[in-house]
Amino acid sequence: MANRHGKLNRQEPSDFRGRFVVAGCIVFFAFFLLLGRVWYLQVLKGGELRERSENNRIRVQEIKPLRGLILDSQRNILVDNNASFDIALIPDEAGSVDGVIASLRNLYEERNIAYTGVPDPPMVRKRFLPVTLERDVTWDKLALVEMNSTMLPGIIIDVVPVRNYTMGPALAHVLGYVGEISLNELLSPTYREYRSGSLVGKAGIEKVMDRRLRGKSGGAQVEVNVAGQVIDVLARIDPKPGCNVVTTLDRDLQQVCWDSFDKPAGAVVVMDPSDGSILAMVSKPSFDSNLFNRGINAMDWEKFSTDSMAPFKNRAVSGLYPPASLFKLIIAAASLDRGLITGDETIFCRGAITLGDRDFRCWKREGHGALDLHQAIVQSCDVFFYTLGLQLGIDDIAEYAVQFGLGVPTGIDMPGERGGLVPTSAWKRERFGEPWQRGETVSVSIGQGFLNATPLQLARAFSAIANGGTLYKPRIIRQIESSSGEVLEVFPARTQGHLPLSQGHLDRLKKALYGAVNEPRGTGRALRREERDVFGKTGTAQVISMPDDDDEESEKTETPFRFRDHALFVCSVPYDDPRITVMVVAEHGGHGGSAAAPIARKIVDWYMEHRPPVDVSAVDGGTPGGES
Amino acid sequence: MKIDRRVLINFDWVIPLLILSLCAVGLVNLYSACSSVSNGNTTAFYLKQLYWIGLGLVAMILCFAVDYRLIVRYGYVLYGISVALLALLFVYGEITHGSQRWLVLGGFSFQPSELVKLTMILALTKYIDERNVGTAFSLPALLGPFLIVMLPALLILKQPDLGTALFLVLLFVSIILFAGIRMRAFVEMCVAGIALLPVLWFAMKDYQKERLIMLINPERDPLGAGYHIIQSIIAVGSGGLLGKGYLKGTQSQLKFLPEQQTDFVFSVFAEEWGFVGVVFVLLLFLSLILWSLNIGRRARDFSGVLLAFGATMIFFWGVFINIGMILGVLPVVGIPLPLMSYGGSCLVVLMMAAGLLMNISMRRFVLKS
Repeated sequence: MANRHGKLNRQEPSDFRGRFVVAGCIVFFAFFLLLGRVWYLQVLKGGELRERSENNRIRVQEIKPLRGLILDSQRNILVDNNASFDIALIPDEAGSVDGVIASLRNLYEERNIAYTGVPDPPMVRKRFLPVTLERDVTWDKLALVEMNSTMLPGIIIDVVPVRNYTMGPALAHVLGYVGEISLNELLSPTYREYRSGSLVGKAGIEKVMDRRLRGKSGGAQVEVNVAGQVIDVLARIDPKPGCNVVTTLDRDLQQVCWDSFDKPAGAVVVMDPSDGSILAMVSKPSFDSNLFNRGINAMDWEKFSTDSMAPFKNRAVSGLYPPASLFKLIIAAASLDRGLITGDETIFCRGAITLGDRDFRCWKREGHGALDLHQAIVQSCDVFFYTLGLQLGIDDIAEYAVQFGLGVPTGIDMPGERGGLVPTSAWKRERFGEPWQRGETVSVSIGQGFLNATPLQLARAFSAIANGGTLYKPRIIRQIESSSGEVLEVFPARTQGHLPLSQGHLDRLKKALYGAVNEPRGTGRALRREERDVFGKTGTAQVISMPDDDDEESEKTETPFRFRDHALFVCSVPYDDPRITVMVVAEHGGHGGSAAAPIARKIVDWYMEHRPPVDVSAVDGGTPGGES
Repeated sequence: MKIDRRVLINFDWVIPLLILSLCAVGLVNLYSACSSVSNGNTTAFYLKQLYWIGLGLVAMILCFAVDYRLIVRYGYVLYGISVALLALLFVYGEITHGSQRWLVLGGFSFQPSELVKLTMILALTKYIDERNVGTAFSLPALLGPFLIVMLPALLILKQPDLGTALFLVLLFVSIILFAGIRMRAFVEMCVAGIALLPVLWFAMKDYQKERLIMLINPERDPLGAGYHIIQSIIAVGSGGLLGKGYLKGTQSQLKFLPEQQTDFVFSVFAEEWGFVGVVFVLLLFLSLILWSLNIGRRARDFSGVLLAFGATMIFFWGVFINIGMILGVLPVVGIPLPLMSYGGSCLVVLMMAAGLLMNISMRRFVLKS
């Protein structure tokens, strides 16, 4: 390597000759090393390794982790794991795959047991990994296979943990279910680190918290002899169990809500108004999450997926309903805040208002006469709010509706949440290319028309009135804990906004809501408890818009089910320091006061009896002064 | 450009002979490796490989027909084209096994990262020949060559194909060491490299870290790479002195490796042909590499010297890393065995490299004058 440091004189190509010799030596040495290793493997250890290749097999066993538990706020178990047994086949060890399956079937036939597995297991690339033949087998099959294992080379019994949803359909929408990862999910970047065949949460908390719940597979490389017995464990990694998810739910309350909801379809949301925690959430019709544990069978799937009632839909967060009379609170709030009214002036209800050549009726045909804001809310007078709504105009109404949390998803940790719709004149122009009509403002003023919202949004808006004006983000996950109980992540209550109302205005609304339940002419009389501690609002949502049509109040038993009105009711209790907000929607239930309120009544009664306040001084739930 | 008669007289027969022998051995072995893969299109593999060898021969002829100095003169252009192809992958690339490596051109799929190995060497040759010959590299002078390598290496890393990216860096380091580097610059480069590691580590995402750890310590993944290494060792070892015989390898016929026609093709060979077969193939490779180095040694100009060395290194590192991997002494990085693994782009590029070596060999007398 002459001239290495020569800067001025260019080297001759011949100067590199030495380096080529060095390079050649290095190459030679490298090959020598490789050859040495081959000599070691093939000649020195050849006999041993050949024996290993002929008599023994390395088998890879995946050790599945236990999925995390889901608990309620009192640490009652909502979901845990049970063991289920699969019969699987390792193609490499079976010799003839068809032969082994045939002998398995013969074995079954002798005992008159049906083979329920796949007739031709799919051939996979990794032939050393087990292919599942039969899922969730019974004990008699298990015993049979175990006893005859020598006749069934390559057949193994897989212990598979399965989910056990302790509440079944009562909590199916909230918890969701798990299933094998689909091709689409595998291809999406969200599921990058998942393998095919792994279980993944498909809905509800199982889906949202999947990353936390799933844990991490372990694995072992074991050496087995020709009889399939493990003779050596070459390497092992323990699985990491999934984290436990502690929810804000109350299991017993959830059960009460489920039992109390006696209508075919609808939703119940019970929220703690002081921080937005969800205590219970029911959606009906429902399904049993346990059905999905080992892959739902085709018949059940067919039944569910073609059901026009959409049992998989979580109506509490995805169901869109006209807020109906519940929306009058927002009109009232807007009118007070804008200074349109002070609350003491009266408006005369003659039973309808006329706009152009059209009459917009109050639900009470004969009219309410002159009422102030308080009585208008108590008796849910339509004309009163038509008048205010028209004076506000749609865009002002929308502005307030948004501040009450309508029109955008709340951001709860639930998949499939919808935001509902708060129409504006700009929206109408863009959507239909038409200007906004004043008649449409009339509909919106009583929560009909284009307007819709989820039960969760309504529960939250009402909670904000109940708690003095704070809009909380609904919270259903309280914290995440490791399997050993260490708290990993806490989900605190989060404020998302404040109602645009002064304390005086809030008190006025609250008082009126108290009247709606406890005064003689109130629409929510069903909640009038001995303690006189509930305040709430009824709503009756028209399913097909008939602003000029029949009396809203009349019982609709003769109307076909799907045209019947939705019954809504929302209330909080106790008056002074509300601890729960109960929101009930009964689809096609009829009138809010007669169909939804009794359900809320049962929930409130149970809660107040079984969940006494922790703070003793708050027991004495006071009532406001004037009651009639 | 007139072709000197001496060029034809000095035609290098050794290189094509060795290359074709290795291709033939590879083809025979590929037939065995694929006969066990039980999906219908097994024949496709070795037949396709045969077509690729044909195409490789054409490429090889093109590469020795044109004077290599002319090829080096267009080094930057060729380099630019292949880097552009790499970049194009991110727009049009086919995704297989989770990474974007293939460019599909009219029915043929093609891996630009293979081509870039060769064009990078051409660019480095041109760069060093024009600026740095006779002066051992100082650290600032290394910047140019460094950029030439890092551009494609980073693109390949992004695919992601860590193995090939590392391969480029390895080629770069060999060439720089060969071309001459000051002791101080060498130490500084090492220190900088080591200092950069923790920075890189923190910049990486968790799954990338995990993948890297797996690379260094495959036993951590007993369901994946670790399993393959143990199986590969058993396959090679069970071949013994004389092998189990062609098409009779039990380990390989039992389809334990997902990549037994590409990265693990040599464990099939070692099992069936034993120590004797392995020595034979290693001797073929060794002869090829030593002969190629000798071509460089006798080259009459700097570009010939550097190009010959670089082209040889493509063969050397490919053989060393792949065989080291199947013998369980190097991590599983997914580098195919030159000429024997299934894979068209790799094969064609290697035959082009061989063509360049013949080119340099044939023109040494022309240049003397």
